[in-house]
Amino acid sequence: MSATTETHPDPSPPDASEGVEAELGFVGSIGAAFLDIAVAARELYSVFVRTLYYVFRGKRVKGAVLHQMNEIGVKSVAFICITMGFIGMILVYQSGLQAKRVVPDFTMLGATYLELLVRDFAASIGALMLATRVGAGIAAEIGSMVVTEQVDALRMSAADPIDYLVVPRFLASLVMTLALIVIAGTVAFCSGAATAYVFFDVRPDIFFNMQLVDVGDFLTGFTKCMAYGAAIPIVSSWCGLSTFGGSEGVGWATTRAVVNSSLAIIILNFFISAAGFLIFPG
Amino acid sequence: MLAFKNIKKSFGPKQVLNDVSFDVKAGECFFIIGASGVGKSVLIKHLVGLLACDSGEIWLDGEEISRFDEQQMGPVRKKCAMVFQHATLFDSMTCAENVALPLRKHKDMNAKDALAEAKKRLAVVHMQAFADRYPPELGDGMRKRVAIARALTVDPTYVLFDEPTTSLDPVSARRVDTLIRELCDKLGVTSIVVSHDLSSIFSIADRIVMLYKGKVLKIGTPAEFKATDNGIIQQFINGRAEGPMDL
Amino acid sequence: MTEAVRNPRLHALGAASIELAEIVGGMGVLLARILVRIHKFDGEELVKNLYKMAVKSLPIVAVTALFTGAIMVIQAAVIVKRFNAEGLLGWGAGFGTLREIAPLLTALMISGRVGANNTAELGTMVVTEQIDALRVLAIDPIAFLIVPRFIAILATLVMMTLFADALALFGAAYTGQGLLGVEPMTFFNGLTGGLLDFGDVFNGLFKSFVFAFVMALASCHFGLATKGGAPGVGRAVNASVVASAAGIFVLDYLVSFLG
Repeated sequence: MSATTETHPDPSPPDASEGVEAELGFVGSIGAAFLDIAVAARELYSVFVRTLYYVFRGKRVKGAVLHQMNEIGVKSVAFICITMGFIGMILVYQSGLQAKRVVPDFTMLGATYLELLVRDFAASIGALMLATRVGAGIAAEIGSMVVTEQVDALRMSAADPIDYLVVPRFLASLVMTLALIVIAGTVAFCSGAATAYVFFDVRPDIFFNMQLVDVGDFLTGFTKCMAYGAAIPIVSSWCGLSTFGGSEGVGWATTRAVVNSSLAIIILNFFISAAGFLIFPG
Repeated sequence: MLAFKNIKKSFGPKQVLNDVSFDVKAGECFFIIGASGVGKSVLIKHLVGLLACDSGEIWLDGEEISRFDEQQMGPVRKKCAMVFQHATLFDSMTCAENVALPLRKHKDMNAKDALAEAKKRLAVVHMQAFADRYPPELGDGMRKRVAIARALTVDPTYVLFDEPTTSLDPVSARRVDTLIRELCDKLGVTSIVVSHDLSSIFSIADRIVMLYKGKVLKIGTPAEFKATDNGIIQQFINGRAEGPMDL
Repeated sequence: MTEAVRNPRLHALGAASIELAEIVGGMGVLLARILVRIHKFDGEELVKNLYKMAVKSLPIVAVTALFTGAIMVIQAAVIVKRFNAEGLLGWGAGFGTLREIAPLLTALMISGRVGANNTAELGTMVVTEQIDALRVLAIDPIAFLIVPRFIAILATLVMMTLFADALALFGAAYTGQGLLGVEPMTFFNGLTGGLLDFGDVFNGLFKSFVFAFVMALASCHFGLATKGGAPGVGRAVNASVVASAAGIFVLDYLVSFLG
């Protein structure tokens, strides 16, 4: 997933990198880009492995995970509800229009919508929203701690920043992403049902049709929740920890966290969707 | 001719300036000194409209400017250039582009002519070799000199310096001092310098005002400051830790 | 503030409402200030920003679009298999991509890449007094900094959406071939077979224009409103991307129903 992470953290002026390109030539600059990606992938991998290690071995500060669950989860509820509510209305309205052009029959609208929601949209669009809010938040917080040398202070007191900063966010995100996506799906379904009733006269009891949702859909959706829940804090913490250079650096880290988490979600989505399709066809 | 009359300014409950008045004569090198946090920088920011005073008047060449809006402030800012404490160059532009920007905006030069002129002006402050470098790559002293070159592009009659030598090494600091003195002597520019650098104060100042607790404690020449028997001033100019001064 | 808050929930609700009103009002005022000076943009800054925003975003938009097209086909594949209607794959994936997903995802990615970056840059300029330095040089920060960025963001997002449309369909066509054995020609025939027209593309582009509008305003507003050093810049970027995302979804809804 890190193969395409954006690897230009350098807050130095834009022309500095162009100078490098001019020196290396076109092929050289492509090589440099791949080297950057390889370095980024290794760092990301190292953050991930160390996080997993400390999940089992670390000394947990009491209440840290709960605090992060509040920060990551509870404070995102309103944002998720608003965005998912609107996307639910849009999706049902658009697919209703689409269906009208082919088969003017809305009895399966709800079933198809519910299937798509469970298998993909609730998890993926919800996670993209979380990448924006949670990813930016994590990177901004950790990045500020890096530039104000608080992270160095942690190291000096023999606490691994991964154990102290990343692990609570990781655990909180795993739990809260699942919870938020269940909420997101519910909100999107309800707003979709309301839209179907108002615009296409589909009664909610017909719209709520579980017929097409099977175990494969649930498993795919659940896997996505877990994968996104793990990816967002890891990618964002990595961006935050690699901050350097004052306020501009913090801005850069936050930007990269949003972009890289979103990319990670889209790429993970592709692989999980493809795997889901191949394992549970139809 | 520049005059501050009864300036008062508070931030929330904290009264920073309480009835400050003094004049600055044309062509002199005028220092505003005082302990950190006494409101020196706040005072000169009033002059270029970055802050507005609660009450009082600021007279600049026969105009009362303290109530000017952003648009009216334009001509005032061309007349009074300011060099910030941290130089504050634009990070995304090279040194030459930094200097060229006001030329392009105010002298109707095209981008190419402005850059050529900017390089000439950088030569005046001995920075021509770094014209194409970006500010984050340079040291504090170099940045400060570029900032001075940029401030001078609008051909100001007044230049405000906010702690020009703070955070510089002693050699760079004395070079900046020399540059400020030259502005007064060669170009006839009036310099208003906020500083608590004792060597600058006693090597280049024509006159000094000392602020203490939001008020003017004393105005006079460096010699008069040295000769005074006021305990607070003596403590400040001799840099003693113990004394009557409240911080 | 000294008075004890009797009902903390009500108090929080009121505070949140005031904050929201402040943001919307601030963005409105900023818009007015931009529009008054829209003709006075700095050409050099505009070109610089277009390069930084559009050209530098190409790789990330390309990756997003290719994968999005692929995902759309995987989602449509189940239905196509169920009804055994391969000819409809192009239409099924294309309709959603052109009208909804490509503009939306491109907007979200550009919001992260360009909008957030813009806020970070402006925020840094505020906390390091560079904006004050502009004012002291008698250069209007709105005309010099904000107007070119505003125009550049509008142009960038519309161009990137068009680019993403093309790449997403490309990705979709070849995923269809790999996963379902539907020939790319069949896919494109399904696309152009009369169920889709340029109206759908324009609808998507119009949406992206609207998204760019809210994103540009939000990122400039939060950048200029930055307070408090490095942590302040982080907070501003966070607020800017959240506001952009919420704005994008709400406007998407409004535009979908109007268009």
